[in-house]
Amino acid sequence: MTNNSFSSLYQIQDLIHCYQGRPALTIPFLEIQPQSIVGLMGPNGGGKSTLLNLLANVDIPCAGQILFKGRELRPFAQDTRFRISLLPQEAYLLHRKVQGNVAYGLKLRKDRQDRDLKVRQSLELVGLDPESFRHRPWNALSGGEARRVALAARMVLRPEVLLLDEPTAGIDAASAQRIKEAALIARQEWGATLIIASHDWDWLDQVCDQTLHLFKGCILGNGRSNIIFGPWRPRGDGRYEKRILDGQTLVVTRPPEENAALLIGPEDLWLTTTPQPVGGQRQFLKAVITRMSLGKKTDRIMLTLTAADLDLCTHISRADAALQGIQPGSVVWLSYQLEDTNWIG
Amino acid sequence: MNFLLDGFITAIRLLFQGDEETYAAVFATLQVTGYSMSASLAMGIPLGFALGYFDFPLKKQLRFITDTLMALPTVFIGLVVYALLSNKGPLGELRLLFTLPGIAIGLTILALPIVISLSAATVEAMDRQLRTTLISLGADRLQLLLSILWEVRFGILAATVNAFGRVMTEVGISMMVGGNIKWHTRTITTAIALETNKGLFSMGIALGLVLLLIAFGVNLALSFLRKK
Repeated sequence: MTNNSFSSLYQIQDLIHCYQGRPALTIPFLEIQPQSIVGLMGPNGGGKSTLLNLLANVDIPCAGQILFKGRELRPFAQDTRFRISLLPQEAYLLHRKVQGNVAYGLKLRKDRQDRDLKVRQSLELVGLDPESFRHRPWNALSGGEARRVALAARMVLRPEVLLLDEPTAGIDAASAQRIKEAALIARQEWGATLIIASHDWDWLDQVCDQTLHLFKGCILGNGRSNIIFGPWRPRGDGRYEKRILDGQTLVVTRPPEENAALLIGPEDLWLTTTPQPVGGQRQFLKAVITRMSLGKKTDRIMLTLTAADLDLCTHISRADAALQGIQPGSVVWLSYQLEDTNWIG
Repeated sequence: MNFLLDGFITAIRLLFQGDEETYAAVFATLQVTGYSMSASLAMGIPLGFALGYFDFPLKKQLRFITDTLMALPTVFIGLVVYALLSNKGPLGELRLLFTLPGIAIGLTILALPIVISLSAATVEAMDRQLRTTLISLGADRLQLLLSILWEVRFGILAATVNAFGRVMTEVGISMMVGGNIKWHTRTITTAIALETNKGLFSMGIALGLVLLLIAFGVNLALSFLRKK
């Protein structure tokens, strides 16, 4: 299928991908715009890496199709293999020196022009000194350095699409910061589309034009959501509850199964700083604000809250936050309508 | 125990004085080893890669068969190849019985399952992220194959050394298919067997040491590849 007037970079239609017969990812429809930054969030096993592998043309979907600029992605296709690059979660370095690793993609493209210069520039982009790193062997690097070398190996290719699978997970803060900066440089310098899977919600909130929440292989929606896992116990009044560590309870409607997951959108949680009776007629949950971050292109502040062992999120306008004097460490009371909650799976 | 020392001294003398009979056996050994290793590596590495890399029906059963064939008795291979190459056999017209190429066919059958099986095990054990990385960097199918083989080269080298060791030291096939003909199909191992039968232990030990020296030289060359 070819369509030259195609405006989306990616278009996914009726996608199903299975591992050993079990569906791991189901996306009826999704579009990704060129030069956008898309975040993928959600718990482990949600399908983020599967989606990235499919978008990178590393795996072929079991059913449905992925269109790239209107053409169906085909394995090893000449028109896409030099345009899309994926940095996997566990970056693999080839068994050679840093120079060889960073230059490998150029070698595959038979691009000999200014190869050394490009390698140097790419290493500088990820914050590694070319002189001290170029001749180091692959096994003489720390985890953070290895991840940065792997990113440099992608950056040197100036890909049209850069897919990053948890690029900052498990590495030191300095390396994580350099990786974040380098990713944004790819967007600024050559207009790369970035698709980033990460658990760093604040980062995604700050940089992404669109964030998709994946859970059990399905897209729950845009942005962060509250997913609360069971077990749920009957209260005797037809409702069910989850007791959290500080003794508070979260009351819900009848779950489909004891360990079902509950979804509450951030917009469905409202908060007040006025003390409310916990355990009274109306359900309130006392929580502490642990983090506040301003979303991209919005005046809404994303709040991360903790109620004992339960982490939740909601958002509030800047004006409301100022009016109520909300800041990290503030104690608030959260409430929600039972009809605004949904069971997943 | 003097014959051990005598054997060592004789080995030095045979090699440095350029004993023609010894060198004929050395060249015959190198020739059949070269032919059979070339053939088994040329066929075995791609087949081993395919067996280790791809998922297909009956893959496990095929792995089981190649693993079993690694333990093929050499006399059995000798017998089968003899039957195939003899005048009454289906390949008799090729007139390869009692020739070095005939021995090489038998040795290839011996080495091939080793190369396939160990290469497949190496490819299976490779980090799965390697494939993802190579595709992400823009590799096409051929570049993917060659890059993976280069990355797992130590395992392939181990398979090569293993097969080489078995081929170099093999007696049954060389004896049955080659016939141990002096100046013609006598290899070092068949010469050792002959000298031992004649009671000339020191000569046998000398030839054994020569074999060991060749193996040492080949492994030394391979160790340089390992360092690359």
